[in-house]
Amino acid sequence: MISAAVDLQREVEQFLYREARLMDSNDYAGWLKLWADESTYWLPVNDDDSNPHEHISLIYDNRQQLESRVWRLSGLHAHAQRPKSRLTRVVSNVEIEPNSGAELVVHSAFILCEVRKDTSHFWAGRNVHVLERGHGFLIKMKKVMLNNNDTVMPNVTFIV
Amino acid sequence: MLQLQAEPLSRPEDWASQYIRGDRVHSEIFTSPEIFALELQKIFYSTWLYVAHESEIPEPGDFVTRSIGRQPLVVVRGVDGVCRLLMNRCTHRGALICEVNRGNQSHFRCFYHGWTFENTGKLVHIPKDDGYPPDFDRDGLGLPAVPRVESYRGFIFGSVNPDVAPLREHLGLAAAKIDYMIDASPTGELFLDAGTHKTTFRGNWKFPGMDGYHPPVVHQSAFEIFRRTAASQNPEVDSAVAQAPRKTMNDSPLAVSRDLRGGHVMLDSMPQRIAEREIHLAATRRMAGGEEYIAAMFAAYGPERGAELIAIGGDPHLGIFPNLQLINQHVRVVVPVAVDRTDVYLYPVRLGGVSHEFNEVRLHKHEDFYGPAGFGQPDDTEIFERNTDGLQALGNPWIDLSRGRNRERGDSDGSIVGHITDEVTQRGQLREWSRLMSAS
Repeated sequence: MISAAVDLQREVEQFLYREARLMDSNDYAGWLKLWADESTYWLPVNDDDSNPHEHISLIYDNRQQLESRVWRLSGLHAHAQRPKSRLTRVVSNVEIEPNSGAELVVHSAFILCEVRKDTSHFWAGRNVHVLERGHGFLIKMKKVMLNNNDTVMPNVTFIV
Repeated sequence: MLQLQAEPLSRPEDWASQYIRGDRVHSEIFTSPEIFALELQKIFYSTWLYVAHESEIPEPGDFVTRSIGRQPLVVVRGVDGVCRLLMNRCTHRGALICEVNRGNQSHFRCFYHGWTFENTGKLVHIPKDDGYPPDFDRDGLGLPAVPRVESYRGFIFGSVNPDVAPLREHLGLAAAKIDYMIDASPTGELFLDAGTHKTTFRGNWKFPGMDGYHPPVVHQSAFEIFRRTAASQNPEVDSAVAQAPRKTMNDSPLAVSRDLRGGHVMLDSMPQRIAEREIHLAATRRMAGGEEYIAAMFAAYGPERGAELIAIGGDPHLGIFPNLQLINQHVRVVVPVAVDRTDVYLYPVRLGGVSHEFNEVRLHKHEDFYGPAGFGQPDDTEIFERNTDGLQALGNPWIDLSRGRNRERGDSDGSIVGHITDEVTQRGQLREWSRLMSAS
């Protein structure tokens, strides 16, 4: 029993590390492959718990919008990512909600250094992933709560 | 007799004329810290600035923190129901008396030494107040209020200049254009309560203009996404609407750039949208809550005017000089921080008398393009920063704003119009900049 929990924890951590590597290397297509067919990618603004149907977000993408986002970033006309951000992030504090069932609810935290055009920005925040079990995991929902989501901020056009 | 062309950007005797040659402008007006300091005095502390919307502070005690130029304010509805713009500064040693963005409070306490003010500004408590000399002017130590506060249909403006002309006079032709955003609501109500995109860029506050020339270049990727999405959802109806931004910004003879005078300008696509109202009505009908919205608009404004307002979509695409823009679904406020640093706040509006579903669609449309992670605005931000860096090159220190000078014309209301891509708007803003900066 303990061993199964440890295995699951490790498996989830490895998934999050892989996601981090794909995001850090701006591998948009690779990152998109981690997502389920029906999915939500959500970055709240102003308040971590705002209702995304009554309050704007930084991002509230369904699968189609997520694909559009990836398409845009992969092309030549996403000026805000020409040149691209160089990124390194550390993902930690990985915690699987107990009684998660078939869909795992996973909490984590990250610290991210973005370097672009002679400027460094440090970003940090907390994630909640809802992961679907299949062949490995697929992201059904990802919510990113940036620490600075209620302050003025520069572009968030890299994948967070 | 209509005027054929607008006046020059500055007159030879004006202070500003040293930075303006015909329709060319010297880059220093975007890069000089001295000019920025002067702009605060001559513009931000002289004319009207938009500060907040009445829907943000409906109840006594409601407040939001804002600024006039670099000066921090609390915009608060007092216990007496009066809206005031109080300086966010303790009259004792000068610390902020309000440290949060918004809330509801009967009093503001400075947590340096505990001086406490009623939300009308009145000083009501000084700890250990037996320590002050007999001639201590307690009554004179209330929070100073911005001397001029006036509203236009819910939009609250303030001026620290007690002698500024009445707001309605300042708005001039622009006032009736503000109406188009408000009258997208069948009840004529806007609510700025759906959150704020708070963005910042390394560049001058005058960059975010009303520019109809850039969209096909800067926003090519966003327009392509909107075209594809619309086409995949409904090949017949929506693709025509999705093409609209491209058509508007490139070709349509019905869409114009308009100088409303006084620095207020707009990218006026209303005539085109009205001509294409059947397309807009069909698209609206297909939106969640769309039928209900159309019925409410027709009931409120009649079918003719209602259809026009629906086609216009609450988007006057209007710039009120110097710090307010009403664009698509949002109210935008430009805040000058330094010569090369600007904050831009976007407040999407929720329409009164409209279903949740309909407002939700509008909010998501806003999200798609705007904010630090949208498909459009980040590219503007990037280009503004490239502009900041490029302007450091002084081989030819002038920027050219002559586009369309040869084909602009006076309209019957006294405004000046040109092709939608023409720099009529930039010239209109600079003419007011020049006038204010040159005033004694």
